[in-house]
Amino acid sequence: MTASASPPVLEAVEVSYAYPGPTPTEALDRLSLELKDNEFVALLGPVGCGKTTLLRIFAGFLRPTKGSVRCGGASIDGPGSQRGYVLQEEAIFPWMTVRKNVEFGLLAKGLEPFERRKVSEELIRLIGLAEFEEAYPKELSTGMSKMVEVVRVLATDPSILLLDEPFGALDAQTRQRMQDTLARLWAQRRKTVLFVTHDAEEALYLADRVVVLSPRPGQVKATFAVDIPRPRSFETRFSPEFLALKRQVWGAAGLGVSGGG
Amino acid sequence: MMTWLSARRAVVALVAIASLYVLAAEVGHGRLPDRIWMGAHYVENVQLLPTWRSLVEEGTFLIESNILLDSIAVSTRRVALGLLLGSAAGILLGLLTGSASRLASLADPWVTFFRFTPALALLPLYVVWFGYGESSKVLLIATNVAVITFLGAHHGVCGVPRVYLDAAASLGANGWQRFQKVTLPAAFPSIFASIRVAAGLAWVTIVVAELINAQMPSLGYLLALAGAYPRVPTMLIGLATVGALVLVFDLLALLLHAWGTRWMERAA
Repeated sequence: MTASASPPVLEAVEVSYAYPGPTPTEALDRLSLELKDNEFVALLGPVGCGKTTLLRIFAGFLRPTKGSVRCGGASIDGPGSQRGYVLQEEAIFPWMTVRKNVEFGLLAKGLEPFERRKVSEELIRLIGLAEFEEAYPKELSTGMSKMVEVVRVLATDPSILLLDEPFGALDAQTRQRMQDTLARLWAQRRKTVLFVTHDAEEALYLADRVVVLSPRPGQVKATFAVDIPRPRSFETRFSPEFLALKRQVWGAAGLGVSGGG
Repeated sequence: MMTWLSARRAVVALVAIASLYVLAAEVGHGRLPDRIWMGAHYVENVQLLPTWRSLVEEGTFLIESNILLDSIAVSTRRVALGLLLGSAAGILLGLLTGSASRLASLADPWVTFFRFTPALALLPLYVVWFGYGESSKVLLIATNVAVITFLGAHHGVCGVPRVYLDAAASLGANGWQRFQKVTLPAAFPSIFASIRVAAGLAWVTIVVAELINAQMPSLGYLLALAGAYPRVPTMLIGLATVGALVLVFDLLALLLHAWGTRWMERAA
């Protein structure tokens, strides 16, 4: 037994989840996961392995069928702004300007307009969208919209970020640019991040730790510590250690076995 | 740019149809019978297709005698009032039932019930309940408008994508904030579209109501009176006036809709 210094910020203990129905679909099976303070964890797994389910449980929209989830030691019993959640779907509010979108969480908290403005201006500048501040989302590209969603969540200064395949719908180039933007944001404002993706390279590029899930029902299959120094750059993606890790992660995800060759 | 172009096309279409009519009237002048059998007797001097000269003459008379303008004022006031009252009631109710699914199943059969009840079928009842005056007519319009806008608001609220509500909840918005900042604006397009439909329907309702429960001055009565003589120029001018007013109301509703959905993507 070790006297642990600080309790895990986010923790799932033996979590199972089955979607109700005539034949309940088991999405998660006794999954346990711990996130330490300011740790960036990527959750990697094939489509339908329950990644999103786990994230929605952490976000407070689903309750585990069995097991428990805790945030800072307290049981999670509903959505809350200390756990910033960026949905997989496009959820930027199209009827609000970029600035209003970013200020939404602060508005909900009852902050004065000038206080909201201070926060939103800085965040919007940080993602390079200052000129779009008063534009409606219809004028943004998919990547830009997603970045607005990320800083909209950051505006309320949550201790935890839950990101569900934020860059899944982007082309490879935009995706890499967005990853760099996110890495920069994270370097400036340390948060505990749980990042869901099905892209091993993305997971390795961003995370301190990559957790590979098995196909449904999801269980932790393997965990990889990513000891690659930051800031990581374009060159990092081609460094021997990165490529070696990538090979291992793909292997753990089952690709090395089934790949025809 | 696009709206300007379509407005120009609409004007061109109107002018073209009017020109066709004028042409047909000139051709028909002197060739069409001017005596028709009206059931019990012959009516002489009927202009089946009045020429533009007699239309101008009749129009001048109707305007100079203030009959037309008074009728427009009275009918427009009824439509506007009915539209306002009906929309307010319908939208409020729709927002309520849309947000609470239990209320929705309660309201559903009644909406279907009223949706297909013709306005005229309600008129006798409304006259008995609310008298021959303004209230029965305004309330008749309001009823029709309320049914349409109720559906618009109800479906608007039910159709709000869950991702928006989830995102708002996870950003810390409470129930009222979610309703006010997410549900309501997301339902606007549907609500404003229903107001536009209701605005057109309101004119159908009022003219028919005024035809039956006729009192001077009103556009419906003007038409009823023209039918009793019969005076075709008056009928045509009355119809054109109603049509023009419908267009004006539709344009206003369209502007409202454009304002309410200015954030939406538009087809190029």
